[in-house]
Amino acid sequence: MNINNKIIHESKSHESGEKHVAGSANYTDDLLEPEGLLFGAIGYSKCAHAIIKKIDLSEVIKSDGVVSVVTINDIPGINDVGPVLPGDPIFPKKIAEYYGQPLFAVAAKTNEQARKAISKAKVDYKELKPIITIQEALKNKNYISKPKKIIKGKPLLSIKNSKNYLKNNFSTGSQEHFYLEGQVAMAIPIEENDYLIYSSTQHPSETQKILAKMLNQLDNSITVDVRRIGGGFGGKETQSFIFAAISTLLSYKSKKPVKIRMDRDDDIIITGKRHDFFSEYEVGFNDKGIIEGLIIKIASRCGFSTDLSLAINDRALFHLDNTYYLPNISITNYLCKTNTASNTAFRGFGGPQGMMSIENIINDISLYLGVETHFVRKNNFYQKNHNNITHYDMKIEDNVINELFDQLLKSSNYNERYKKIKRFNSKSKYLKKGIAITPVKFGISFTTTFLNQAGSLVHIYNDGSVHLNHGGIEMGQGTHTKIAQLAADRLGLKFNKIKITSTRTDKVPNTSASAASATTDLNGAAVLNAIDKIKENINNYVKNKYKINIENVVYINGKVKFKNKEFNFKDLIMEAYLNRVHLSSSGFYKTPKIFFDKKNFKGRPFYYFAYGASVSEVIVDTLTGENKLLQVDILQDVGKSINEAIDFGQIEGGFIQGSGWLTIEEVNWNSIGKLTTHSPSTYKIPSVSDMPNKFNVNIFKEGINKEDVVNKSKTTGEPPLMLAMSNFFAIKNAISNISENKNYIQLDAPATPEKILMAIENMKEKNNEIK
Amino acid sequence: MPQKIRFIRNNKIIKIDEVDSNETLLNYIRTKLKKTGTKEGCSEGGCGACTVVLGDLKKNKIIYKAVNSCIMLLPSLNGKQLILVEDLIYNNKLHPVQKSMVKFHGSQCGFCTPGFVMSLFSMFKNHKNYDDKIINDSIAGNLCRCTGYKPIINAAKNLNKINNSDHFSLNNQKTIKLFKLMKKTKKYLLSEYKNKKFFSPTNVSELRKILENNPNSEIISGGTDVALKITKELKTLTSIISISSIKELNFFKINKNFIEIGSATPLIDFQKIIKRYYNDFYEILLRYGSVQIRNVATIGGNIATASPIGDTLPLLLSLNARIIIESKKNKKTVPLNKFFISYRKTILKKNEFIRSIIIPLLNKNIFKAYKISKRIDDDISSVCGSFNIEMKNDIINNIFIAYGGMDEIPKRAINCENSLKNKTLSESSINLAIKKLEKDYNPISDARSSSKYRMKIAKNLLMKCFLEIKDNNNYRINEY
Ligand SMILES: Cc1cc2nc3c(=O)[nH]c(=O)nc-3n(C[C@H](O)[C@H](O)[C@H](O)COP(=O)(O)OP(=O)(O)OC[C@H]3O[C@@H](n4cnc5c(N)ncnc54)[C@H](O)[C@@H]3O)c2cc1C
Ligand code: FES
Ligand code: FES
Repeated sequence: MNINNKIIHESKSHESGEKHVAGSANYTDDLLEPEGLLFGAIGYSKCAHAIIKKIDLSEVIKSDGVVSVVTINDIPGINDVGPVLPGDPIFPKKIAEYYGQPLFAVAAKTNEQARKAISKAKVDYKELKPIITIQEALKNKNYISKPKKIIKGKPLLSIKNSKNYLKNNFSTGSQEHFYLEGQVAMAIPIEENDYLIYSSTQHPSETQKILAKMLNQLDNSITVDVRRIGGGFGGKETQSFIFAAISTLLSYKSKKPVKIRMDRDDDIIITGKRHDFFSEYEVGFNDKGIIEGLIIKIASRCGFSTDLSLAINDRALFHLDNTYYLPNISITNYLCKTNTASNTAFRGFGGPQGMMSIENIINDISLYLGVETHFVRKNNFYQKNHNNITHYDMKIEDNVINELFDQLLKSSNYNERYKKIKRFNSKSKYLKKGIAITPVKFGISFTTTFLNQAGSLVHIYNDGSVHLNHGGIEMGQGTHTKIAQLAADRLGLKFNKIKITSTRTDKVPNTSASAASATTDLNGAAVLNAIDKIKENINNYVKNKYKINIENVVYINGKVKFKNKEFNFKDLIMEAYLNRVHLSSSGFYKTPKIFFDKKNFKGRPFYYFAYGASVSEVIVDTLTGENKLLQVDILQDVGKSINEAIDFGQIEGGFIQGSGWLTIEEVNWNSIGKLTTHSPSTYKIPSVSDMPNKFNVNIFKEGINKEDVVNKSKTTGEPPLMLAMSNFFAIKNAISNISENKNYIQLDAPATPEKILMAIENMKEKNNEIK
Repeated sequence: MPQKIRFIRNNKIIKIDEVDSNETLLNYIRTKLKKTGTKEGCSEGGCGACTVVLGDLKKNKIIYKAVNSCIMLLPSLNGKQLILVEDLIYNNKLHPVQKSMVKFHGSQCGFCTPGFVMSLFSMFKNHKNYDDKIINDSIAGNLCRCTGYKPIINAAKNLNKINNSDHFSLNNQKTIKLFKLMKKTKKYLLSEYKNKKFFSPTNVSELRKILENNPNSEIISGGTDVALKITKELKTLTSIISISSIKELNFFKINKNFIEIGSATPLIDFQKIIKRYYNDFYEILLRYGSVQIRNVATIGGNIATASPIGDTLPLLLSLNARIIIESKKNKKTVPLNKFFISYRKTILKKNEFIRSIIIPLLNKNIFKAYKISKRIDDDISSVCGSFNIEMKNDIINNIFIAYGGMDEIPKRAINCENSLKNKTLSESSINLAIKKLEKDYNPISDARSSSKYRMKIAKNLLMKCFLEIKDNNNYRINEY
């Protein structure tokens, strides 16, 4: 082992930081445009559920600048972009299943011409009754797969025997990804039927596969190239496929390169979002708030197709416990099929929704008992040596939540502030403050075991510079930076000697999506594997040539140190080259230990857990529902960080994104299933004023990954999003101050000013009834 | 005779021969100048990814304004200096703003970054010190989905430590000369390309004539509303009359009794004036769109748009503002509450334009206004309420209440007002008045809020106004 801590712990700036600020970092739409490039636009259904009787494109074809149009009839191969199960047609055969479903596309000489041509289509629909909401789907038993039931222990009996009982329901809203770079793809015919596709996607390998199937060709005829994407958050894990597919289809038909860059509104209308969830629960608990039995029904809006909904719902179920030991639990999970865009991956992948359900239950219990919520939380925590088996039978071996939570209670001065807030509220009639602390435990690994593999390709050129590729996509999370740091460290080189270029399917094949927070863990390990192979070649060369021992060779500071001999890295590489040593290698990694029995919902789906906790303090105007985050304190376990600056960035950004989900971001459909929130003017993501006045973020000093993950680090991809739960519960805490009868606060997420005000009004009404 | 558009970039005057008046500046930058640092995130002024900075010569000084290039029509570039993110680099070195962003990890995916850099650049040029308020205001029109803003704020704060001279200050005199050279052609601009006309008169008498001769033209002032017709509704505007080069429409006059503001005065200038008289008006303007929007959007544009959620409208209504309407033959003064007819319809005829707005100064009155929206920055109101009260010994002598977001037009709450006139300002009189609001309004439900919530908010705002007056205290969360 050689640990060159300097490079690893250094808060290196993003590998593209200087290019970002200079405007020279290229995104797909910025690439040099090939001669004769056409621009595509997509025509979509204006009904949520309808038989398509006729699509008349005669005026479209005649429209200015139009070169080509495509419909379902132009697809030579398989008409499906479904990632796991089929059911996501590129264009539907007969029935349009949501408002926004692509029906046809055009390629024209300019983007404007293509967009204008679209509006000239005449589509004849026979409207069918749409199912839009979770409630409608539940009523009609409209599911994408059979409801799933999981039982552990004796929930019914435990509830019966419990001293206290509560029954309630709760929902969390959808969320639009709002990646700043919209969906975009450019397909370029190479020769014969080979295509090169530049796509803003988190999943180049699946893109390749889908395009090959669509064209009825082999995977080896399609190459997908992704240098970087302008944000993904799950929204380009599968939702990017249709745009790559349609641009390739247009290119196939017109024999010209074709680019599709989506208009923001159309992007939001066509693509899926975070699943909204609805849950109903019955819980039995003792006077300390310890949950003795829980029966929960949990339903999600999946949209019109399966997409990733099965895995997303599974992850919601895996995280229904958050950090709490639930020995007796019954879960029924309904995957609702609705006439809306197919909901999809979004940072946390169902986990946040599951966790919000249990946090809300804990909150209800505390209000019922009149006990401060953090006591109830702590009373239910998993322990190290007992109460450590999850409801899916995984033993938790790396639990740090107890100590992390206590540390944060102290460092945030929680108790003092709690008292201060009480005093403030007793004096302030209309403005109320609230505070909450919430924990996070998030499981890391794809829950579909085979996806937990990664590949890499590393070259050392004979001038000593290093070029590497891996299967991960750089989407802002800093994976290229972290992996370059790992590589530099392993080779004892300076950071600037390492170059990571586009992720390409012809360099590293059969990759998994950059998702599940595991990109750096998996690909970093694959890169180190490749480097170790090259180092072995070099070391063996030295051993044979100089007859020296090659145990404990150290690569550091541009030197390679053997027991009795030292080389300059650069010189040694040239020497090795001249002596015909192979200086390039692929690498591979698969996560050990994990397995899962889907049928019985048992196993070890996660390699490790990431832990964190946060405190939020808010102020709420009880006359208007407006609210503001005053202070946030976060403590996050990142293991041994590879790059603290990047981890801080992920934590802060994740928190704000989660806050948006739980407070201001509201996705709405009208009664006919048309999305009404499809632009930055109607859909609001957090802006600078939504930052807390004070934002104290700390890394858990004792953190270390017990498992053998690169640098013993833990990911910060998804987990921080869930830290924002404290924001929601702080709001709830604030409005609970309005009345004596706190049991009656019914507040669903997102807690928009409207929902907050309505919750306050309902509380007041109920109070009056009681009086 | 069609004329060329001229602008300064990188110390040169650049001419464009053929100008499609419907082309956006962003499109021109990306597809003609082939500079791709400037990004498109939304095409509607809502994300800031397309932010560029325009320099303009005012009183021998160059003023730098951040604007959304996605909703600016190319002819508006005429006579300006265009500064793109690429242009900040000098001698192959990053600009201090860019360096600071790198140093403080201000970029993650990097797509929003050029926009932030440009917003911070204009802050850097326009201010000397950058406190929290200035920083916040400068980047409120830029969205970032990755960072959570903290590192960007840190980058901005760091600029306090940096001398704000850069290669633009170095070239200042040279640039001023170029401006003067450009401005020599005084005549109004007319461009005609592919049957699309664009007029840019420089005085009111020209405007009157052009309007009379081209009655089917679209007046464009800041263009923040008109440009969306092109970028979002995909319409072609065949005849556009820009009024932004008319100095006579960009002015303010202040005397004891009123302020008069030219209709083409950008809101960014208006906000500074109104601050002295009605602080709540100013506070609401600070939350109107963003700096990029307010740098171009005008008071006349907001009025003529006649949107039920136009933010200045309820405020102007409750202040009993009047507007001066002009045509070739006519000039008249109309009280604003007679201006709106129905949803986005006004009494304005095709050959007429708004010349100015007159706002009475009522320094003895109590004036309060509230904007309620989901997000604090750059959000459209769910409801905006405005209250102008004249007290005489504890009795309400006169009261003017107006709301936006409650009806198809911004409207006074006449029933509510009447029930309060000549009453004491007490909880019981307010409670009575609150009920009257149901007579005054019947709000709709839409993407932003439900009808029920709108009514509840309207009532509570009246209550809030009363409570604030009674307790002589403001109950506002933004003061925490
Ligand atoms: C991102 C964004 C954020 C926004 N935020 C807000 C907000 O917070 N609050 C709010 O109220 N609005 C907001 N708006 C709406 C918009 O800013 C207003 O409608 C604006 O006032 C229009 O002003 P303008 O000068 O840009 O008008 P233009 O777009 O130039 O014109 C608008 C209309 O007024 C007419 N017109 C303009 N000037 C005159 C005149 N002198 N005489 C006769 N007719 C005239 C034009 O013909 C046109 O029909 C926002 C818009 C955007 C794009
Ligand atoms: S592209 Fe979003 S503001 Fe211009
Ligand atoms: S860095 Fe990705 S949107 Fe700002």
